[in-house]
Amino acid sequence: MDFFAYIPQLLSSGITIGAIYALVALGFVTISRASQIINFAQGEFVMLGGVIAFFLLKVVGLPYFIAALVAILIVILIGFVMHFLVVYPLRKASIVILLMATLGTSIFLSSTSGLIFGTLPKTLPPFSGERPLYLFGVSVLPQSIWVLVSTFILLIFLYLLSHRTLLGKAMEASSTDPLGVDLLGISRNLMVFLAFGVSAGVGAIAGILITPIFFTSYSSGALLGLKGFIAAVLGGWGKNSGAILGGFVLGIVESLSLAFIPSGYKDAIAFGILLLILYFRPKGILGSPFIDSRRW
Amino acid sequence: MKMRNKSEFRKRDLFYLAPLWLLSLIAPDPYLYHKKEFKKKDLFYFGAICLAPLIWSDPHFHHLMVLAGIYAILALGLSLFMGYAGQISLGHAAFFGIGAYTTAILTTRYSVPIFLAFWASAFSAAMIAYFIGRPILKLKGYFLALATLGFGEIFLVILRESTDLTGGVIGIFGIPWFSVLGFSFDTYLKQYYLIWGVLIGLFVFSKNLVRSKVGRSLLAIAASEDAASSVGINVPRIKLEIFVLSAAFAGLAGSLFACVMSIANPEAFSLGFTVLIVMMVILGGMGNLYGPIAGAILLTWLTDVLSRYQEYSLPIYGVILILLLIFFPEGIGTRLNARVIYLIGYWAKKKKREQGKF
Repeated sequence: MDFFAYIPQLLSSGITIGAIYALVALGFVTISRASQIINFAQGEFVMLGGVIAFFLLKVVGLPYFIAALVAILIVILIGFVMHFLVVYPLRKASIVILLMATLGTSIFLSSTSGLIFGTLPKTLPPFSGERPLYLFGVSVLPQSIWVLVSTFILLIFLYLLSHRTLLGKAMEASSTDPLGVDLLGISRNLMVFLAFGVSAGVGAIAGILITPIFFTSYSSGALLGLKGFIAAVLGGWGKNSGAILGGFVLGIVESLSLAFIPSGYKDAIAFGILLLILYFRPKGILGSPFIDSRRW
Repeated sequence: MKMRNKSEFRKRDLFYLAPLWLLSLIAPDPYLYHKKEFKKKDLFYFGAICLAPLIWSDPHFHHLMVLAGIYAILALGLSLFMGYAGQISLGHAAFFGIGAYTTAILTTRYSVPIFLAFWASAFSAAMIAYFIGRPILKLKGYFLALATLGFGEIFLVILRESTDLTGGVIGIFGIPWFSVLGFSFDTYLKQYYLIWGVLIGLFVFSKNLVRSKVGRSLLAIAASEDAASSVGINVPRIKLEIFVLSAAFAGLAGSLFACVMSIANPEAFSLGFTVLIVMMVILGGMGNLYGPIAGAILLTWLTDVLSRYQEYSLPIYGVILILLLIFFPEGIGTRLNARVIYLIGYWAKKKKREQGKF
């Protein structure tokens, strides 16, 4: 039994799923950088991206690229609508209320998607061929490389957005210094509105990337969203780099754990990591700008 | 107008003093729960609870009220933790599940008497809450919510995977009815009185608790932890105590749930259930002990009504949750009371104005 032969293979699949977690975590971070709100419906954006792209491709019959693009636009629109109808009326409410409202939205989105698009798990064809590539003796799906490249491009895009544009700076400022932002004449509500759009778009892209590898069904969003949040906390809450690192670490650890424990316990690993990180280092691996080290 | 002396005895006082005296016998702490603290409102609620199943003798209504009572016990405990101490927990479904599974395993595998299993489930939930609470409760806000949620998810995974102990996804069947000293609670009506009796006992206990020193410290912690610790309140200890207590409530509720449904399976304790109980606490109004009970009855009724619409029920449920949160963020009762008080005040002023005019 060559036990260690599995490890590179598990590592490669861990990196793929880690990239997806990183994208979900980036969605959380984008919103939290603008408003300190945590959107528990983030996982549903991922699910909707995959499911709507499938619907447009298979039922409507659009070309792949256009179907993906339209799906992303629709999910961004859903993100805007969610902000307008749910988060904006509750902008002054307490944490518990916002938490429950986003959870309620999550229930609504997942069950509505099950109603409209059917409850069967869906899968999209891979972007470029099914034949696995062999790199260093490890078989890698071409889709995994697509996932990694897209994650990298999105990371650069989000970095440029938040560090090189006035809009990104205004978004970040509206979270760190609300009063200053008000004095400068920046609309905080508009910033949060835009942040919801960006995070919904990132989520939808993650959904389209993941659907060819893993099946996406109407109920898979909640768990993906939670794991993305865990990744964001693990890497360092509120940092793009932390979200990416946390996503990859979580994906790799979860995947490697398959070599040691029964696969049914895989989901417990992520939450176990969460409890450990919250206990020993709440600000995450890279540290967090929002959480001071002493007490929060 | 003739003023009545307050200590003057009236014959009609006998009508509520007699049941009041009876109730004071079963109240856990008669020293704290003075007779004069009883309000007529309490007596009215008590009478309504006793008479309701006799007036509507519909088994479906009885079953619904049994479920509502169980959820109310759970929501009452959660209300102590969320409403009074100002913390957030999304993991109480897990404690509920621990209670249910403890009862299920003890009664079906080891044929322990159910009355013992009832207390054992509260104890096991409290023990687990103690060990979980020590590390978790130093967190705040969203992160506390997430940590408790993580605990709940781990519990669900363990339930599904450890097939030998918990029966996996299928769960455990054939849990006996609740029985004390050979008296079996085998109809919905008997279960109704059992569960609402337990609920009233726990309610009186909680009411005493929030008026005690611990309860005052809880309010102080909810207002500001720094200020609370500066006046000598041991904040981590009080938080841990109330977490353990609310978990014990959840364990009792879970045990009763297992007896009533005679089945325990993992689907009943998922995230959706957590959302439901937290909604009960929010809808009733935070920091109010009547609230969670009212919220439990309301939401149990709502889910029952919605279950008729089958696949449309979850989307409608989601929309109703969001609407309730947007329009009644401080609980339905609070907003309605404020409205009623405003109307009464307006009416009284109007009357006064008119009298002044004429």
